[in-house]
Amino acid sequence: MENKVNLTLNGRAVSARQGMTILEVARENGIDIPTLCYLEDFSPMGACRLCVVEVEGSRTLVGSCHTPVTEGMVVHTHSPKVLAARKILVELLLASHPDSCLVCDKANICELRRIAADLEVGLPRFHARKHYYPVEDENPHIIRDMSKCILCRRCVIACKSAGNGSMFSVAYRGFESKVVFGCDQLVDEAAVCPDFDGCIALCPSGALRKPVKIGEERAEKALIIKG
Amino acid sequence: MSEKGISTLGREGLILRLKEAQSKFGYVPQEVMAELAQSLEIPINEVYGVASFYSFLSTRPLGRNVIRICRSLPCYLKGAQTVIEAVEKELGIKPGETTPDGRFSFQLANCIGLCDQAPAMLINQDAHVELTPEKITQILRMYK
Amino acid sequence: MPQQRVVLKNCGVIDPRRIETYLERDGFKALAKVRREMTREQVTDEIKASGLRGRGGAGFPTGIKWEGARQAPGEEKYVICNADEGEVGTFKDRYILERDPFTLIEAMAIAGYAIGAKQGYIYLRAEYHHLFDLLQNAINQAKKSGYLDGFRIEIREGAGAYICGEESALMDSIEGKRGESRYRPPFPTTSGLWGKPTIINNVETLMNIPQIILNGAGWFSQMGTERSKGTKVFSISGDVENPGVYELVLGSPLRELVEDLASAKDIKLIQIGGATGRILPYEKIDTPLAFETVLGAGAVTVYNRSRDVIDIVYRTMEFLAEESCGKCTPCRQGTEVMVEILEKFHRGEGREQDIRNLEALSQVMMLTSLCGLGQAAPNAVMDTLQYFKDAYKKRVVV
Repeated sequence: MENKVNLTLNGRAVSARQGMTILEVARENGIDIPTLCYLEDFSPMGACRLCVVEVEGSRTLVGSCHTPVTEGMVVHTHSPKVLAARKILVELLLASHPDSCLVCDKANICELRRIAADLEVGLPRFHARKHYYPVEDENPHIIRDMSKCILCRRCVIACKSAGNGSMFSVAYRGFESKVVFGCDQLVDEAAVCPDFDGCIALCPSGALRKPVKIGEERAEKALIIKG
Repeated sequence: MSEKGISTLGREGLILRLKEAQSKFGYVPQEVMAELAQSLEIPINEVYGVASFYSFLSTRPLGRNVIRICRSLPCYLKGAQTVIEAVEKELGIKPGETTPDGRFSFQLANCIGLCDQAPAMLINQDAHVELTPEKITQILRMYK
Repeated sequence: MPQQRVVLKNCGVIDPRRIETYLERDGFKALAKVRREMTREQVTDEIKASGLRGRGGAGFPTGIKWEGARQAPGEEKYVICNADEGEVGTFKDRYILERDPFTLIEAMAIAGYAIGAKQGYIYLRAEYHHLFDLLQNAINQAKKSGYLDGFRIEIREGAGAYICGEESALMDSIEGKRGESRYRPPFPTTSGLWGKPTIINNVETLMNIPQIILNGAGWFSQMGTERSKGTKVFSISGDVENPGVYELVLGSPLRELVEDLASAKDIKLIQIGGATGRILPYEKIDTPLAFETVLGAGAVTVYNRSRDVIDIVYRTMEFLAEESCGKCTPCRQGTEVMVEILEKFHRGEGREQDIRNLEALSQVMMLTSLCGLGQAAPNAVMDTLQYFKDAYKKRVVV
């Protein structure tokens, strides 16, 4: 028999199965916690930190995507402290993001932009150097613009097309970190993958996109931003 | 490495093998990364990801001798800047550059743990301490 | 309070190249004692009772760590010695390793016995390559003399990354990967190196072990304060006349270290714990050095009145931005944003709004970063905003 865990989620008593993460329990209970690096079928990375929540008794906020629920845990997913932190995290991502939403191909389906809107991120408070990388548009199946990459690593962990691993890896470190192909080469015509569409669909920003031919119908659903 | 030798190590030997290439070639050439990727059955981008993470590994050719002057606060307080300038003057290159004859690469390092003898630097694996601009000329002469 | 040599007992006394000189000083007697007279549980209980806490900066109780790994199920377990001190201004572990590698080896073997590990690693920072031969020689001698039966110690060298001093990144680096922090739980005691139960202890922490075993937990816990037992080894540098390594009983006032021993004069501020450490103004010089107050890994950098606060904080943040592993948003982006804000103040072009932004950002980095680096990265900013706000205000453009 499965072990049940009882906890308090936003003031409500809920029960969960042992081993579930806070995020899983929250989603099961209809609570939406924003995430950028989390992917349902993969082990969590805990990189974007957007899913942080307040757990009573904890010194810091905790990443809900990787923290298992425990008996008696008291969790707040949308307290003022959490919302303020999430807002700053998004602002930090935008601090080095190009200001090109207006002409970005992904603008209307961009998860980063949707989350920023949900958190009511206004004019940028923070600034950081922008990364200038060339747009990689030689390949007929994928366009990479790493200046828009937010280093969520979804493409890295989800890709299995290189036989023994991913076609992409994180290289360098700190603010210079970059998701690279090969030894930091451009994804050229020769790069082949049976499923480029897979990683393109997972990319939460405009970093990966599909080359669109003029007149072609777009498959993705457009984003509706409130306000 | 002790008994086993690093070639028998699997993935855990990657950094050791990259370091081995670094000391043999003065950097980690792409061909070496390709060989390592093949023998460890991992994609080359993953090898590159590791090689580019560590500051004692370089994916671009460096000079025969690598100077790393500590620029962290304890050395800075003891005049590291004058030592940096002395090296710049002596070699005619700035941090991040290599002399045209390939004799020296010049880098700035974060704390190297010689703060009690600041300012300090490493040339290759050798520690040089209590540096002054005057000492630089003599020390550099030791490296061919 | 006098200096007390516990950790440094053999430093400068024995010949670090000859095991005989160590044996003359009760060397390997503690290991013999645990193997002959004590159960594993008794060993971890003794360490727990001593009140020993980690000396690498986090201060986690060593005995609890060991107990966790001992109780964790699994045949394969590991002992790791963290010899990757990279905190700015730290050099105590180098000093110890240069002078007494044998105590460390004995302690690792005791740890191996206590948790049931057959393999130990010393993770040595790349900058300390010159210590490799000395350490390997000590391991070889201990092995040849039969002290390491059933326990194997290997040295693994880093490749230049401050973050690898953080325990989860350190394990990734031993596994041949980028040294990136992992989230916890699971903790290393249950899922560490290659997913196996692992204990990771700082050099100095381990140096205490043989004497706790020989003299008893009671002897050790007599020294220090309520929650900080034993001694601490400090590395002191900067604007002092006598930089170097000093061992003091925990709870000793900062003044004793900085003014009496290192002979600092005309002090403006003191940074304790390196780049992620705390900054105290001279007025706080009577603060006791303990886990309850300030300690870190024991790096103490002294700045005199000629030094510029903004310059210090800017350079501190530059270091952290360069050494961030880059995995999590708050640390990767936050340290860079802070560097750019502080650079404005450095140029004298700060704004009132920037001060508020630094405060808000500090909070979020502290609350949301994945590991200790990001969580402690804003310390220098927060402390100087508390004690030296004028230094910022003076650089605001009106």
